[in-house]
Amino acid sequence: MIQKRPFFITFLAPAVLTAVILAAAIFEVLQYSVREFVPGSLNVGGLTLENFARINRPIYWWVLADTFFISLLTAVFSLLASYPVAYALVRAKKDWVRSALVSLSITPLFTGEIVRTFSWMLTLGTDGFINSMLRKLGLIDMPIQLMYTRFGVVVALVQFSMPVMIILLATAIAHVDRDCERAAANLGASPSAVFWRVTLPLTLPGILSGIVVVFAWTMSAFSTPQLIGGGKILMISNLAYLQGFSVLNLPFAATLSLIALVCALGSLALMKTITGRIERRLAVN
Amino acid sequence: MTETAIIHPSKEAGSAVDIVRVRKDFGSAVGVADVSLTIRNGEFVTLLGPSGCGKSTLLGMIAGFVTPTAGKIVVDGADITDLEPYRRDIGMVFQSYALFPHMNVHDNIAFGLRMRKLPAAQVEKEVARAIAMMKLEGFEARRVRQLSGGQQQRVALARAIVIRPKVLLLDEPLSALDKNLRAQMQVELSELHRKTGLTTIFVTHDQGEALSLSDRIVVMNKGAVQQVAAPIELYRQPANGFVASFIGEINALPPGRCELKDGTASLVLPGVGPLVFPTAPATGFAPGRQVRAFLRPEHVRPVLAGEAGPNVVTGKVEAHIYQGSHTITRVVVEGIGLVETRVTGAEIVASAPVGASLGLAFDLSEAVLLDTAD
Amino acid sequence: MRSQKIGTVAFWSLVVALLTYMTLPTIVVLMTSVNPTEILAFPPQGVSFDWYVKAVTYPDFRIAFKNGLIVTACASTLALIVGSAFAWLIHHYDFRGRGLLEGVLWSPLIIPHFTLGFGFLLLGGAFGVQQGYVMIVLAHMVLVMPFVTRAVHVSLANIDPALARAAANLGASPFQVLTRITLPLVVPGMAGGWLIAAVLSLTEFTASLYVTGSRTQTLPVAMYNYIREYADPTVSAISALLIIATTLIMLVADRTIGLRRVLAIDTH
Repeated sequence: MIQKRPFFITFLAPAVLTAVILAAAIFEVLQYSVREFVPGSLNVGGLTLENFARINRPIYWWVLADTFFISLLTAVFSLLASYPVAYALVRAKKDWVRSALVSLSITPLFTGEIVRTFSWMLTLGTDGFINSMLRKLGLIDMPIQLMYTRFGVVVALVQFSMPVMIILLATAIAHVDRDCERAAANLGASPSAVFWRVTLPLTLPGILSGIVVVFAWTMSAFSTPQLIGGGKILMISNLAYLQGFSVLNLPFAATLSLIALVCALGSLALMKTITGRIERRLAVN
Repeated sequence: MTETAIIHPSKEAGSAVDIVRVRKDFGSAVGVADVSLTIRNGEFVTLLGPSGCGKSTLLGMIAGFVTPTAGKIVVDGADITDLEPYRRDIGMVFQSYALFPHMNVHDNIAFGLRMRKLPAAQVEKEVARAIAMMKLEGFEARRVRQLSGGQQQRVALARAIVIRPKVLLLDEPLSALDKNLRAQMQVELSELHRKTGLTTIFVTHDQGEALSLSDRIVVMNKGAVQQVAAPIELYRQPANGFVASFIGEINALPPGRCELKDGTASLVLPGVGPLVFPTAPATGFAPGRQVRAFLRPEHVRPVLAGEAGPNVVTGKVEAHIYQGSHTITRVVVEGIGLVETRVTGAEIVASAPVGASLGLAFDLSEAVLLDTAD
Repeated sequence: MRSQKIGTVAFWSLVVALLTYMTLPTIVVLMTSVNPTEILAFPPQGVSFDWYVKAVTYPDFRIAFKNGLIVTACASTLALIVGSAFAWLIHHYDFRGRGLLEGVLWSPLIIPHFTLGFGFLLLGGAFGVQQGYVMIVLAHMVLVMPFVTRAVHVSLANIDPALARAAANLGASPFQVLTRITLPLVVPGMAGGWLIAAVLSLTEFTASLYVTGSRTQTLPVAMYNYIREYADPTVSAISALLIIATTLIMLVADRTIGLRRVLAIDTH
């Protein structure tokens, strides 16, 4: 007998089971988000849309707006900081330089958010590295406030997002046809004109996906705003945690978590549409 | 390579490109070895050779993408060896065309003019002229990826000639096209060259393209120039064994000695006997000289076995390679080795089956005599 | 030519500056971890390994590290098995609902970790196994599985499909093709995926904060709780150890199986 699809069920079953568990977890969040909050109890009441209506208050809008703003700043600065590194990573002539750049830019991805956030706390704190150095150099008398500021949060978030941004940009830059750049030079374009008119436009899909991925990623950042923002800077994740673990309002925490999920999915859908359109126009790949 | 194969740079008026003892080393390997070459104004010169022979490296050095290890390159009397590519005013068509995928046809062609900061009106005028010349009317707004291979080729040409380059470089521009289109584009390239009068340097590994298009062909191998000659001369008088066997098919006879007896010139092959030159002997003939004779398959005529005559040897048919209009028959001749003969039609396949013996008449008047060392 | 040189120098200076920015926090943490005093000092006022001793003997960290190893071992191994099977499945078959299944299983790359952690917390509550190992392992497994799936999928895509046909033509059954041809060829991808999964699981914080309890907390959660209470360099020492460990693992992974290929970063 011919087995048409060997191993089909065997290999499918565990994947389906995993997907069901994952879906159940997300469904629980959804389910809690439409439940009534019973103050003083972890049990929840009947169905309601009250939690979603509650979002419509200035204080919560402010947190949402701040989350968007911080994510956007992070995405833009991450792009600006990552492009030169990605370009160097792809175009360096020496093999060891490329390997070193890959290692230096990728390994931070794997040290985990707590280690990285803690490192930035030591760097940005009042007695931290930056203030100590500035004082040693005689540039400042009083320490400058970097912790618990939006600036400090963005500085740390940009550094976190750079490995991912660099990977996406490096892939895009590596796909640029070097002959196109040579052709532009041959037609009289100076090195800077070659970059602005040929290289940069051809890496536009990579740039856009980088921006959106980092934007979505930062929207769901938790530990950095939690520790470096220190409660002074609240992003939606911190608000959800606060509602869930301090106020013990699980339904509202669920609603906020769900909104964060929708925002992340929304930005990704947006990216797919935009890059899809650009790629069709370029008809590359 | 022989000394005479190098054309030393001349200071004659009208030379467009002077390549003077240019060398390129890649680490310890030699990419291009001390090449000197003068290309005249308006000439169509082809760099021909197998892959890795250094022809593309040489082209890259003229365009400025490869820096020579030594030597200099002079275009229109100006030394451009150290000039950046974008200041050279040399047009180039890339093997992959390298059309900008994010621009339409019009903007691709206008790119070089815009880089030269020409006024918009003049850009439009020049682009329109180039578009008309390359018969691309109606395609201005098309994305380049929507074009066929032949159309992409025309855009690449238009983009290169619109800047009125001092020299036009073509890097295997026909290799991406299918056979029929390739033939048509050869005709168009010829026509373009006639119309524009542009000094053109064409790189290819296809001898057919080289023979049909060029004023002169530069045959390269292992980084060195083997011969520089017009196509007909190259085919009839290859300078050495490499050129002889690289251009077309050729039979290499074993080394023999030239003899002149009673006014009859002949070539004595050990173990075969004398082969007689029917008319005046070929160039390179000198009594007593050891030579190798090279003979094209069309100058070897099959004769019936046993038919005696001058210059007839007999061998055993090894294989027939039928090629439509003609058939190549491989015959093993004792004392000579494998000899190919080329006749029109396919009758020989039946008249001299594989394994049968076949006589071959050598027409030595067309033979090329070369030093045994070559 | 001269202006070009200035441009090159300026560009590489910029790259070096940006790399300094990327690595500065790591350097700072390494500096503070060997500083003998409790108060931060730059540069360190000596070299001492007291904080390392305190870090590895601190009971909370010891328990958390053990918890983390259990969770990581279970989660990344489960992810390896399920993810590899899934990668094989989507490489070979098209079936109804495949898009949906893929969407769900890739989604942890996009879903905020706190949403996912919260979901598993609530799910655990519903089954009465709140903050137990089962939910922690499941949450971690779901989070790291996309990385394994991707690594294996890339490896599978690089196998010449003619190999399986050649084996079948020589008489190999589907099972023999799988074990004798496919499996040996994807082992590097699986190993790379497993390593990445293990490192990500070991250092995962946000979801863990939700799904772990005080007895089951993993190392990053214990570190977070410590930072909130104390301000001495013990966490610097732990961080330094984690940085060194992950960097070594990644270097080994890169040397042996080509991290660039597993992460699908092609620079050529």
